[in-house]
Amino acid sequence: MERQPILRGLLTGWTALFLVFLYSPMVVLAILSFQSGPEGGPQFPIEHWSIYWYRQLFNLVPASSVAPLPLGGALLRSLALALTTMVVSTVLGTMTAQAFRRHFRGSGVVFYLVVLGMMVPGVLVGLGMALTANYVGIDRTWWGTVFLVHVVYTYPFSFLVMLAIFNRFDRSVEEAAWSLGVSPVTTFRRITFPLIFPGVLSSMLFAFTLSYDEFPRTLFASGGDLTLPLAIYGTFSVEIHPNLFAFGVLTTLFSFALLAVYATLMTLSVRRARRVAVQEEIA
Amino acid sequence: MSTTTQAEVVPMAGEAASSGRAARRQALGSWMLLAPGVIWMTLCLVLPMLMMIYVSFWTQHTFSIDSTLTLDSWEAFFSTPTYLDSLLTTVRLWFITLALILAIGYPVAVFIGLFVRNKTLQTSLLVLCVVPFWTSFLIRVVAWRPMLGTEGAVNIILLKLGLIQQPIEALLFTQYSVVIGMVQIYVVFMVGPVAFMVSRIDRSLIEAARDLGASTARIFFTIILPLSLPGIVVGSIFVSVMVLGEFATPSALSGGKVNLLGNIIVTQVGSLKWAFASVCGVILTVLMAVTVVALLRIVNLRREI
Amino acid sequence: MLEIASVTKRYGGQAALDGISLSVGEGAYLSLLGPSGSGKSTLLRVLAGYETPDAGQVTLDGRNLNAVPAHERGIGFVSQGFALFPHLSVFDNVAFGLRYHAHKPVRDSAETRRRVMETLEMVGLADYVQREIQQLSGGQKQRVALARTLVVRPRLCLLDEPLGALDANLRQRMTVELRRIHAALGITFFHVTGNEMEALAMGDRVVVLDQGRILQVDAPDTVYNRPSSIAVARFLNRYNLFSGRADGQGGIATAAGTVAAPRLCEQRQHAENVDFCIRIDKIRVQPEGEALAEDEAALMATYIASEFSGAIITHLFRLADERVVEVENHLSHRRPTEYDAGRRYSLVWPRDEGLVFPAQAVTREATARAAA
Repeated sequence: MERQPILRGLLTGWTALFLVFLYSPMVVLAILSFQSGPEGGPQFPIEHWSIYWYRQLFNLVPASSVAPLPLGGALLRSLALALTTMVVSTVLGTMTAQAFRRHFRGSGVVFYLVVLGMMVPGVLVGLGMALTANYVGIDRTWWGTVFLVHVVYTYPFSFLVMLAIFNRFDRSVEEAAWSLGVSPVTTFRRITFPLIFPGVLSSMLFAFTLSYDEFPRTLFASGGDLTLPLAIYGTFSVEIHPNLFAFGVLTTLFSFALLAVYATLMTLSVRRARRVAVQEEIA
Repeated sequence: MSTTTQAEVVPMAGEAASSGRAARRQALGSWMLLAPGVIWMTLCLVLPMLMMIYVSFWTQHTFSIDSTLTLDSWEAFFSTPTYLDSLLTTVRLWFITLALILAIGYPVAVFIGLFVRNKTLQTSLLVLCVVPFWTSFLIRVVAWRPMLGTEGAVNIILLKLGLIQQPIEALLFTQYSVVIGMVQIYVVFMVGPVAFMVSRIDRSLIEAARDLGASTARIFFTIILPLSLPGIVVGSIFVSVMVLGEFATPSALSGGKVNLLGNIIVTQVGSLKWAFASVCGVILTVLMAVTVVALLRIVNLRREI
Repeated sequence: MLEIASVTKRYGGQAALDGISLSVGEGAYLSLLGPSGSGKSTLLRVLAGYETPDAGQVTLDGRNLNAVPAHERGIGFVSQGFALFPHLSVFDNVAFGLRYHAHKPVRDSAETRRRVMETLEMVGLADYVQREIQQLSGGQKQRVALARTLVVRPRLCLLDEPLGALDANLRQRMTVELRRIHAALGITFFHVTGNEMEALAMGDRVVVLDQGRILQVDAPDTVYNRPSSIAVARFLNRYNLFSGRADGQGGIATAAGTVAAPRLCEQRQHAENVDFCIRIDKIRVQPEGEALAEDEAALMATYIASEFSGAIITHLFRLADERVVEVENHLSHRRPTEYDAGRRYSLVWPRDEGLVFPAQAVTREATARAAA
């Protein structure tokens, strides 16, 4: 099947078109972020190239009719939220996956209870959380109710990643450590954790990104303070300006940087094994 | 140690007690590990969902609700054409989007998973298809605005190529723009899982079928399609969850012309109509539950991990 | 020192261990022989504390271990796949148990180093101390696993098929090494194997296990010369097995002919079903028709072929009932005789060397095999 040149050609072309479809909006957005300001609009043609809108993001230009995006506090809140969610979700996911290594009654129910967190549309989780908070009489805040529903969303991802890692994990190394008189807790810290570290890293990446970018759950569960996605959403209802595009470029670069950090750490953690394997081959 | 003495006097009872204690300690250990997650999900997911069902039967006043139980909000939903229209629109756009995602994404996934033999190239292509997942959702939505408008990039290019004489106005602020946006944003959830499943297919299986004289179509329907089915199911669940809960893409790209159930919920909450929003929420939940349960009957998700 | 009392372990109704009782003395070298699925690995896992028995108890130095977690038992375990810590060097692997021991960790790094080096020297790996685990050969990994366990001086060291992953040469050398290390340390060794020759060579005592039950516990030579049942004889792979029926006149009627039974068994009742076996190196081959001595038994058989393996030659003969029997000759004892293929010979052995068992053992096994 892979050898059929016509089919192959068609599929290659299709995939190329697909990639254009996938990336062209971002490319256009990036180009338009260099629109002149403050009079340039959010569409072609480019009057002349400038970094006006980037400077506007950081309040480096004189005030104009275009209001700056309300980003400062929102950015800090989103980062704090994403970091906390990342840690809590990875810890929870690892604990649950660890429990799933042994068969126990009700494992099916627990599995679907956890996975439900990624299967319920976000707007419903947000709505339910808002109703519950109102009913119980607690304030809706970004560090309270929003944090709770963010973990509901990211914890299933962490759990599935860790479950996949543990499925490929050889438990006899842990047993060996116990038989040396080392307690299960120390064994986890010194043996299990270093060996599942790639999974932990992936879980952290998932949790951070999903929380940093989370929007529908946050919309209802938050109080007056905005997170970054809420601040962006707020600009949708009014006329948009290229400053939003400039921000889009920066936040995308931030995502790429995050992926690069992840890839580097991942490479470092597997490089040792590979280097050793190569040496063995030579010897 | 009392157990030791006991064991000497009544050996059988002592054995049973100590074995039982070890088993109980294991069970306790498992539950200590599970408890935080289970409690978290129960309090922050299950309870809120139940709360939503409960509130859907509350009495709605103009700017407040009270807990007197009534079917008023349910009756209002099913007797108002606007809301029934919105339900129909939701289902229609969901089907269209899912079908387009399958039609566009599946061939790409098969190409990457099966036709690209170079491992590095395969991984790079897969990463390229999945990377947008890690970028901001709202930015990706808003990126369609300068693409689709009357002065947008698509119209400019089509005009320059001479394919059209007039800019197409139907591109932005219509249901087409909503579908285009949703397909582009959610297609990664289909390409990823399917490409993963397809890349796990043993190539010698296809070679063997070929040697036995099977046609390309036959190989596709007997080997590739069945083996990629779990990927399709997982992808469909993701896409359905996302599309059914959508409200941001329609509100950004349809200019208020397309109102999905999600948009109704947002509007109702905005005007403090919590009971009515809950009715929409329950309907969406039922729609979602039916879809997920039906899809999970095809594939056991737990076994695919 | 170690007492195992009626230990039973079931997996979904299937008994992997069925009432195992055994006591092991201080400093013993015990080998546990059993085919795969006999429950020998399960027994080790129960002893190590990885599995909880459903009934029965394990006592070490008078302390009931049933509720004691694995890391509190002081029982070392060398697993079949070695289970080395892949992210640590040889040194750190061996030092692990010293550094992180739950109750008596060694905090002095000079002391750790001294004890690690001492143990690595004992297993002959002192030069490999800085290597990564992935750089080691199978035999070296095996030694690291052993050193890692022995450095913490367990009361009892469990070895799960320790030579199974090694090639024949290495296996021979490790056999000697293991005995030497055992003698040097005085730690009790419990060595599980599926290889009968390894079991006989290694243990002071050999335990034969099948279907979760102990069939025989004896010194190696006793197990070899006097297996307690036909099943044990079968595991030893050194016996020709027959089933037949006592004829009440000192003979046993088998499908291949009647043979004279050992005189000790002559009082067997007429028509009782029995199992009979004769060790392959007890048989002598002589031309058809030659006379037998008073105390000899014989069967007629047709010569098929011979297999040479070093100092041993094994001749294969076909009996009247089409079954093949083996006859083993040690070349150092006499010059090999050439036999003619297809010709009939008389297989002769001293009648008292034959072993007779009541037949139920084999029928029980046969039923179980059929069920499985």
